[in-house]
Amino acid sequence: MAELSTLARPYAKAAFEYAVDAADLKGWSDSLKAASVVSQEEKVVQLLGAPGYTSEQQATNTIEICGDAINEKAQGFLRVLAENKRLGLLPQISKQFEALKANREKTIDITVVSAVQLNDVQKNKLASALSAKLEREVNMQASVDVGLIGGAVVRAGDTVIDGSIRGKLSKLAQVLHS
Amino acid sequence: MQQLNPSEISEIIKQRIDSLEVSSEARNEGTIVSVSDGIIRIHGLADVMYGEMIEFDGGIYGMALNLERDSVGAIILGDYQSLAEGQKARCTGRILEVPVGPELEGRVVDALGNPIDGKGPVNAKLTDALEKVAPGVISRQSVDQPVQIGLKAIDAMVPIGRGQRELIIGDRQIGKTAIAVDAIINQKDSGIKCIYVAIGQKASSIAAVVRKLEEHGAMEHTIVVAATASDPAAMQFLAPFGGCTMGEYYRDRGQDALIIYDDLTKQAWAYRQISLLLRRPPGREAYPGDVFYLHARLLERAARVNADYVEKFTKGEVKGKTGSLTALPVIETQAGDVSAFVPTNVISITDGQIFLEASMFNAGVRPAMNAGVSVSRVGGAAQTKIVKKLSGGIRTALAQYRELAAFSQFASDLDEATKAQLDHGERVTELMKQKQYAPQSVAEMALMIYAADNKFLSEVPVSKIGDFESALLSYMKAEHGDLLEQINKTGDWNDDIQASFEAALKKFSSTQTW
Repeated sequence: MAELSTLARPYAKAAFEYAVDAADLKGWSDSLKAASVVSQEEKVVQLLGAPGYTSEQQATNTIEICGDAINEKAQGFLRVLAENKRLGLLPQISKQFEALKANREKTIDITVVSAVQLNDVQKNKLASALSAKLEREVNMQASVDVGLIGGAVVRAGDTVIDGSIRGKLSKLAQVLHS
Repeated sequence: MQQLNPSEISEIIKQRIDSLEVSSEARNEGTIVSVSDGIIRIHGLADVMYGEMIEFDGGIYGMALNLERDSVGAIILGDYQSLAEGQKARCTGRILEVPVGPELEGRVVDALGNPIDGKGPVNAKLTDALEKVAPGVISRQSVDQPVQIGLKAIDAMVPIGRGQRELIIGDRQIGKTAIAVDAIINQKDSGIKCIYVAIGQKASSIAAVVRKLEEHGAMEHTIVVAATASDPAAMQFLAPFGGCTMGEYYRDRGQDALIIYDDLTKQAWAYRQISLLLRRPPGREAYPGDVFYLHARLLERAARVNADYVEKFTKGEVKGKTGSLTALPVIETQAGDVSAFVPTNVISITDGQIFLEASMFNAGVRPAMNAGVSVSRVGGAAQTKIVKKLSGGIRTALAQYRELAAFSQFASDLDEATKAQLDHGERVTELMKQKQYAPQSVAEMALMIYAADNKFLSEVPVSKIGDFESALLSYMKAEHGDLLEQINKTGDWNDDIQASFEAALKKFSSTQTW
């Protein structure tokens, strides 16, 4: 996992910088997402792994399957990947591209897990509080986990804000054990 | 089973509930990617600091050692059987700490200060960081007070001062630990607190040392930090640092402490294991590049600090007192090879070494110290006046003896002077032998050295020197107890003392009662 993301980083960075210069972040993002989905398809994985195909053929095949979903420049990108035998990295590259894009657009994906269903007023309040704290525009995904007993857990990347009753109870248990 | 004390327990629970801070602070979280041989890799944890404690599910802790671009490598402190890929790992924002203070004296604890002697909780009031930076140049003072080891050979020829680092080096089963244990036993009345750090030893050996210390009443002033051979490498790597922090408690408060690392070879092995599993590049003998720094930073914390430092540290509570932490690291060599990587490193770090030799040990010279290559680079300034004055002849006598002994094996006829020198050397060698667990006081040592220097031993057959010594010492204790006491107190050497020694020895020799 770690090794793959290290390998994917220069490709993601190159694609991102090219997209910024071409002012086509959206187009590149969609292309990479599509290519990533294609490359994870079981049959495509088999095809890419099969012996007897040159990298040129692999690239051509992948581009054909993707069809209109990817733009012209992204096709060139796929050829470079195929040439370096890195087509398998597409999911990682797409993920890192999205992270770079989110960073540039000052947005962040957060997930909120709460004990009870949040209503819209609560969601808006939470979103505005979080966007003030994280200094980012937040894209909130809400879900419900009754196991939290009460409160909510907010996840934004590596950062976790645990305001749930379960979290507090486990902290109390730890203090009592130590 | 012990009786429960309900009020006490609810008191503790109340205190602990009180100490709980319930706030929903934002914290960093990562996911375990792999668990292997006490090493884990974590994805995420972008904000983790080097050396920070990491918390896992089930109250298990780790320590971050490798901060890489996409992952964090950490060692696990304790049992890692319950950890699995995909579990969460959380930053704690804390670094490793161990309990410190006088509550630990007389206890056996593990590398993190948890008691393992079955005598209940330690209840130490203070804790301190495991890894600390050694005192700087300004805070230091030169070594000028002795640590009496109680072994004639060491105190006379390689004197050790408070704040010194003196290496004990030699092959396995040669009496390295015996010297260390004697040194601890001899601190019973000196006020020096002792810390014995056992690294990678058999649990049975550690138990034997603890029992010996208890038998000789030396456990009251001693802390034993044990990371046995069955403990994880992480614990064996951390134990010396934990012990050092416990010793620094005394140093920083204007007291004196002695710490024994038994032995640093095993710590280097543990560190090598951790480093290789963390995929750090191996260097010479597969040790990582920073194995020198590992020992250097540890031993640098053993120091003598000046009164200003102590005053500043205690915020004026302790004034005009210097503090010291003396270190006796132990290194085990393979077949006497001191030019291996770790031995040369530690020799160059320390302020001298006590070199134990297998051939001497087998010839019955115990402690098996080779006086030729054993040195103390700073201890001379700290030696007691009386021992310093008298012991000058011992080293030269032994050096000349060694040279002549080799030479005399070829020659059948020897002149009188050579014979006398050989004779004297043989007797001095015999005199330097000393039984285990029988440390001698300064006065006793001085008397024996005086006797050797002034030819009182020349009439005694070599095989009888041990008997002569014990008879003389008991005679002196009975007849001149106050003289010995006075010397032990002041350490002075003057004409009066010399005259008393001369008279006492003459009288004792004339009785021939050994």
